[in-house]
Amino acid sequence: MLELRYNPLTDEWIIVSAFTQKRPTRPKTTECPICPGGVEFPGTYDLVSFDNKYPSLQLNPPNVVSESPILKRKPAKGNCEVIVYTSNHQSSLSEMPLLQIEKLIEMWVDRTRDLMQYNFVKYIFIFENRGQEVGASLEHPHGQLYAFPFIPIRISRKLDAFEKGYEEHKKCVICKILEEELSKKERIVYENETMITIVPFYARFPYEVHIYPKRHVDSFLYLSGQEKKDLAKALKIITMKYDRLFNIPFPYMMMFFQSPVNTKDFSRIFHFHVEFNPPKRDKNKIKWMASVETGTWTFINPKIPEEAAQELRNIKVEVK
Amino acid sequence: MKILGHSFEDGKITFEAENFVIRLKVKKIPEGYIISGEIKGKPKRVEIFRTEMPEIFFINNWQSWGPAKKMKRGEKLKIPEKILENFGYGFNPNPHLFEQNVVSDYFYGEKKLVVGFLSSKYAHPFFLFDGHEVVGYLDYFEATYEDFIPLEPLIILHGNLDDLLPVYAEYVKLKNNLQITKRNPVGWSSWYQYFSKLTWEDILKNLGLAKEYLYEVFQIDDSWEIDIGDWQPNEKFPPLEEMAKTIRKHGFIPGIWIAPFSVSETSLLAKNHKDWLVKDENDSPLLAYRNWNKNIYALDITNEEAAKWLKNIFKRLKDAGFEYFKIDFLFAGAIPGKRHLNISPIEAYRLGLKFIREVVEDSFILGCGAPLLPSVGLVDGMRIGPDTAPYYNPETPGAFIPNAFYALRNTITRYYMNGKWWWNDPDCLLLRNIDTELNLWEKKAYAFVSGMLNNMIIQSDDLSLSIERYLLDSALKLRGGRAFVKGLMEEVYEIFAEGTGIGNVKLRINLKKERSELSVDEKSIKLLKQVKTKGDGRKFNYYQQKGDDKDA
Ligand SMILES: [Zn+2]
Ligand SMILES: [Zn+2]
Repeated sequence: MLELRYNPLTDEWIIVSAFTQKRPTRPKTTECPICPGGVEFPGTYDLVSFDNKYPSLQLNPPNVVSESPILKRKPAKGNCEVIVYTSNHQSSLSEMPLLQIEKLIEMWVDRTRDLMQYNFVKYIFIFENRGQEVGASLEHPHGQLYAFPFIPIRISRKLDAFEKGYEEHKKCVICKILEEELSKKERIVYENETMITIVPFYARFPYEVHIYPKRHVDSFLYLSGQEKKDLAKALKIITMKYDRLFNIPFPYMMMFFQSPVNTKDFSRIFHFHVEFNPPKRDKNKIKWMASVETGTWTFINPKIPEEAAQELRNIKVEVK
Repeated sequence: MKILGHSFEDGKITFEAENFVIRLKVKKIPEGYIISGEIKGKPKRVEIFRTEMPEIFFINNWQSWGPAKKMKRGEKLKIPEKILENFGYGFNPNPHLFEQNVVSDYFYGEKKLVVGFLSSKYAHPFFLFDGHEVVGYLDYFEATYEDFIPLEPLIILHGNLDDLLPVYAEYVKLKNNLQITKRNPVGWSSWYQYFSKLTWEDILKNLGLAKEYLYEVFQIDDSWEIDIGDWQPNEKFPPLEEMAKTIRKHGFIPGIWIAPFSVSETSLLAKNHKDWLVKDENDSPLLAYRNWNKNIYALDITNEEAAKWLKNIFKRLKDAGFEYFKIDFLFAGAIPGKRHLNISPIEAYRLGLKFIREVVEDSFILGCGAPLLPSVGLVDGMRIGPDTAPYYNPETPGAFIPNAFYALRNTITRYYMNGKWWWNDPDCLLLRNIDTELNLWEKKAYAFVSGMLNNMIIQSDDLSLSIERYLLDSALKLRGGRAFVKGLMEEVYEIFAEGTGIGNVKLRINLKKERSELSVDEKSIKLLKQVKTKGDGRKFNYYQQKGDDKDA
């Protein structure tokens, strides 16, 4: 079964995607489906984005009839893609050459441009789950993309907050935050000409890191060439620092937040950003999403963000 | 409860005048306020807004060909005598107001303020620059409303004009629930090469040469018809089916020009159906404007027979195979006069456009000579300036007459409507090297600006001539991005286009002095993409760096 169901208790849409359960769990390296010669790719390739075999959203989903006035359902119209970063199974963002990450960014831009051509697509969400701690089923370096037919609830919450902040400060919220972060430098982990990387004041996870472009820009689509290069560098440096933190391949959820598409224009108020939400609080401890976090959306962070920033800042990494 | 003498209930203020009642509601938004509400009765011309007149301000004319530009207090629009005589309602639905005062339709701007109406579904909204004041009106003409109808909302925005005009355009989009087509056409049109002398042989010749170009649409302009109102091919052209089929056979979408609300005094339509025309107070046909050396009247689509006729015309064109309609001189559909039904001229105009849309379904409709705000949601593309021309002259008076300079000026000063209300049509690119007075800078400027603003790109040249073809390719490469223009009230415009086909681009341009500077962000990596579909229907998008292509 594949459909959207409305939750009137929280005013949000749930995706019911029943074949998700049939998904293979962590196949061995030898049978990686996305290695060249694997099930998905008979030949070689550099970067690929392809329709997920077990999608939660589809361009042509099964038709669904909604009959109840309260228990509403809709077709799961949208798209889910798997984004393969490289043909090298052993690699990762932290290990990839900078050039490969720059190409990856161009691919993200192109995927966004392609999918926004569908008027029904309202939000294009690009992300990576790395490590079994966050449910990644394949080791091969890859991320995913969801093209939603609605604005997901946390994004909608962000847009409301940006709108409220704009009214209060007569300025984009992140632009306003940047003024403070750049002058105090307490929470900066890494900075280059156009990008700033911080453990935010409002971090929910112990080693949460955000990347903000210094210029006000709301989407992948409008980043300059320099900004894309600098973003590639920031992504590499943060993931390298993460891996050195406990000297293990560090699990994380990496998420890109851009303006919605085919709806109201949020370009003036919304600021493109990247969130890393790593579940680790220590080498062997997990910061779980338990009742308080899941049930109330209130996060309890056991780590002082300024200290996390200092720890990460102090890890020296070299990028050529 | 009463506030300042007016009753106040549910956050609504009620005003009662002799002939009408208005209920107003004010909503705060981040940039200012929106005043909405409802109205009933016979309101005629209602004052909604009044403030002190600034020294300099930005005005906008009601229709495609009129200016959008900066003006100074005391300044008047310079319009050539001959145009004044012939153009009638072309200037304004209230021509006498326009001739005696400065008028800005739908919205006006100051350095730190933009005030505008968000819709024009019933009334004609405008601002009159009167003495030392600016007064905003809604004109319902002679219409009467038994029940409350929504008031065209008024928005008041504070900030910088350059930032606010796109914000105004966005609120119009939201208020009217606009979601425009993704098809932003590229094509060829006959007008600016052949004008009314076009023959079928010219079409065949250019069709033969057009496959070298990246056109989607091939459009026959004015000249194919028997008369304005008699929409059958004249003796120079084959039957409609053959016209469309021939274009289709060459791989293009067949496009055609028509002036659906205009009726020439010499046409059979005017002779046979006087009762289908909008009338003056003496029940004579009301002169809408003069063109083609003829008096032109307006079709009264509130007459059921006339409406049926209009739908039939479009059905015939559609059935013949046309899928792109340039509908011109549309303001004729919105002139105030006596109609069969007592609805406002704006309602009548929108009804006419709805009839056309119903019949042509998802074919592309390009509006021209059209009242702007009442057309939103009913057209796919819109001309937003006067006609271009094979000459560029900043020195001649600029309103309403063909001139590449003024056409390009409006392309910039109305850019914020693009992609929100419709696709802006900057008018055709003329890229030929003979039969033209345009110099290379002028051709380049037109192509670059149209491309950077992500506008429609239509070329109008005899393709057998020597043509600066690369400029069409440049214009197309510069599309696909999002534009912002700084300096709408200045002499020098700065156009920023982000995310174009060649990345982020900036153009500083002085239209009067023919000076410009283009800077292109060249740092981005270029990828090659190959799309393959698996047996199970899944799409695979393969990417590699350009120049890294081992097979090529
Ligand atoms: Zn692999
Ligand atoms: Zn910002």
